[in-house]
Amino acid sequence: MNYEYSQKEFEFFIELYQMVSAYSASHPMDTGGADCEKNIQGGVEKLGQTPYLKLGVSDVENANGLVTLMGAMEVVAAVSPSLYLTAEYSMRLLGRALAKWGDEKQKQAFLNPLISGSAIGALALCEQTVNVDNEPLAATGEKQGSTVIISGRKQFVVNGPVAKVIGVVGTCDGKPAIFLVDGDAPGLSINRTEGSFGYKGACISEMILENCRIDEDRMIRCSEKEDMVSVLRLWENQILTGASLGLMRASFESARDYAKSHKTGGKPIIAYQEIGFKLAEMLTLFQTSQMLAIRAAWTAEKQPREAFDLTLCAKVFCTESAARVSGEAMNIFGSSAYFGANPVEHAYCCARYGESFGTSTELSRIKIGDAALGIKP
Amino acid sequence: MDFGFTKEQQMFKKEIIRFAKKEIVPRVQEFDLHKQFDFESFRKLGEFGILGLHFPEEYGGGGADVVTTVMAGEALGEAGVDGGLTLAYGAHSFLCADTIFKHGSEEQRKKYIPKLCSGEWIGCMGLTEPDAGSDVASMKSTAEKKGDKYILNGSKIFITNAPVADVSVVYAKTDPDAKHLGISAFIVEKGTPGYTCGEPLIKMGVRTSQTSEQFFSNCEIPAENLLGSEGDGFNMSLQTVEWDRSALLAPFVGVSTYMLKRCADYAKKRVQFGRSIGQFQATKRKLANIRIFGEAARSLIYRIAWCKDQGKPLNHLEAAVAKLFVGDWSMGPANDAMILHGGYGYCHEYDMERIFRDSRLAPIGGGTSDIQKMIISKLM
Ligand SMILES: Cc1cc2nc3c(=O)[nH]c(=O)nc-3n(C[C@H](O)[C@H](O)[C@H](O)COP(=O)(O)OP(=O)(O)OC[C@H]3O[C@@H](n4cnc5c(N)ncnc54)[C@H](O)[C@@H]3O)c2cc1C
Ligand SMILES: Cc1cc2nc3c(=O)[nH]c(=O)nc-3n(C[C@H](O)[C@H](O)[C@H](O)COP(=O)(O)OP(=O)(O)OC[C@H]3O[C@@H](n4cnc5c(N)ncnc54)[C@H](O)[C@@H]3O)c2cc1C
Repeated sequence: MNYEYSQKEFEFFIELYQMVSAYSASHPMDTGGADCEKNIQGGVEKLGQTPYLKLGVSDVENANGLVTLMGAMEVVAAVSPSLYLTAEYSMRLLGRALAKWGDEKQKQAFLNPLISGSAIGALALCEQTVNVDNEPLAATGEKQGSTVIISGRKQFVVNGPVAKVIGVVGTCDGKPAIFLVDGDAPGLSINRTEGSFGYKGACISEMILENCRIDEDRMIRCSEKEDMVSVLRLWENQILTGASLGLMRASFESARDYAKSHKTGGKPIIAYQEIGFKLAEMLTLFQTSQMLAIRAAWTAEKQPREAFDLTLCAKVFCTESAARVSGEAMNIFGSSAYFGANPVEHAYCCARYGESFGTSTELSRIKIGDAALGIKP
Repeated sequence: MDFGFTKEQQMFKKEIIRFAKKEIVPRVQEFDLHKQFDFESFRKLGEFGILGLHFPEEYGGGGADVVTTVMAGEALGEAGVDGGLTLAYGAHSFLCADTIFKHGSEEQRKKYIPKLCSGEWIGCMGLTEPDAGSDVASMKSTAEKKGDKYILNGSKIFITNAPVADVSVVYAKTDPDAKHLGISAFIVEKGTPGYTCGEPLIKMGVRTSQTSEQFFSNCEIPAENLLGSEGDGFNMSLQTVEWDRSALLAPFVGVSTYMLKRCADYAKKRVQFGRSIGQFQATKRKLANIRIFGEAARSLIYRIAWCKDQGKPLNHLEAAVAKLFVGDWSMGPANDAMILHGGYGYCHEYDMERIFRDSRLAPIGGGTSDIQKMIISKLM
């Protein structure tokens, strides 16, 4: 047993924080618009110069796989949620799929640019009836000789408009597959989904694939025993859990600092129990979330069979806590959080995303309940 | 980081669960109903080695580390042992025996610890007073030194095990004008002239533990019954906090696993509207809430335990976070478990109403949730 990160891991978190916050100070990434899009691409490249993008995908010296990753996720998400989302959906969804199921050629061609940060990827999973994974996938690939012809419609795909390569999740011959489609492939149309409530710098889109052709060697398969969609959901849930930690850190720390410096009635507002105790509850949720998230990550690595339920527990707890903590932070800031772009307001908006995406809070609870009842998925 | 338990620890946990299910759990509801202390179960805890688990073997203990000790508390809750007995165990082993062990002379250790480990003697700790609860430093009980004796005067309230205890650690002021620094700790044995206990208080939950007032009226104790030095008392009471935030909270975590199993079994069998209630999403939601609470709380208490094993000084902020979380967030799951059982959940025949009542102590005992928030907001 060991409940602490190592000195080396701490050093890595500090370096990562310094790098991302310095870059984000001169390159805004959470405001939206074309500049922001460019800044995020630069930010992903910067991350590629650190071990960050490799974590959870390949061995990194002095790191402890997903456990280190969870701590690093918190750091990046706290500084720039949009950079975080972009990097994670690129690397920890498509990248991990390539690392786990891709062949050597696919890894060379597609995974290496993602790891180095020179390219951004996307994973298109969500469909109109597959937003909470309760319907079979409608996107299909049909084999014709050595070509696969893909048709389908995807929505809310993070990184769609900026991705060099998109992993489209569907079925081929009735079995799950990921089709690696170039961002500019004929037959693929991408429509940016404008006006998102949070993650204002991230590019989210709808995708229509009409007879989009790829070579057969651009198709990724998993083994018969694996449930590909469940694994992808687990990874997505880990991403949203990590995001929640970062959003809580940003909200809590901003609110705490504000409460110590902002005065009313001649006293800093933290001196009033209504505020001081609210912050105590926020910190309790934040610290409890951290411990649960890290333990779930550790379990995913060491005891994968127990990880599905525990990851869902962590996802529900952390995303709901993030929504509450960021909401309370808004209260502490009073009117000043309500006007204009600021980190607290943005964290609040981003936190709304966590509960609904991945395996939604509602569906997660049903699955956790099923597990308690011994009902197999 | 590594959240794994050793094979030995895992096996030991299973053994405790098996023992508790066989020897203790079948008696729990009856004793709760009659609000009685279960001497036999307490003695069996001693025989099994739980009461003295973390004390060195030379004093009759088990020589276990803190993590294993916390695990034992979790196991008792998981087996279905009631909060009254686990509280009695906590007050005995950690608030009383551990304080004597840590701060007593070798003679005092030899005299008390083996008897407390075996359960031959029962211990308690008197800190809270009628007018000094959260604000410990405002205590009024005094201990005046006269020759080779101390004369104790004052009263304590809400003292777990007091009516059944053979030995008590009692806090009183040797310097009534000083605040925290005027508090000292003493060993007081049952039968000492001038020391009496009130009738057991009638409580909402943890009913098998006996709680009462302690009265000291010109109670003379030998000067050597002072623990440590005069003025050390407040710090000693703080040191029990480490146990309070780990081992004493552990049964609440264990009980969440117990509730989950009981609720799942009930939900599978109970049929309404032609279907088992487990098929309703509202039921699954309740099961999920119980599981999520248990998983979240577990990491917090083991973090405190692991740090203590490493010899790290207690992180008061993390300790308060653990206490606040278990205290305030355990209410929802206990409520869910009771409601999941419908009308049966409200009746004593099923133990959910008892667990609900027992769990209400978590935000009060050992420092209320407000006090935890006060600590956290000061330290943040
Ligand atoms: C079943 C049981 C067993 C117990 N066992 C023991 C034992 O073995 N030994 C022992 O010494 N004690 C024991 N206690 C006592 C327990 O530790 C105290 O009840 C607890 O510390 C609270 O003190 P109090 O009851 O005097 O409440 P008070 O301190 O009077 O508090 C009343 C209310 O005011 C709030 N409050 C107080 N101060 C503040 C503040 N500054 N800011 C905001 N809110 C505040 C509290 O949170 C609480 O809600 C036991 C209690 C119970 C119920
Ligand atoms: C003190 C007391 C006094 C009472 N007095 C009377 C009385 O005078 N007369 C009388 O006739 N009755 C009385 N009752 C019975 C009371 O009305 C029932 O307990 C209550 O209606 C719940 O029924 P049940 O206990 O059978 O629970 P169940 O119906 O078995 O429900 C168990 C659990 O499953 C949930 N559940 C059930 N169906 C669904 C669904 N479709 N979707 C989601 N969740 C579901 C419930 O919400 C509950 O959490 C009394 C009960 C109590 C505790």
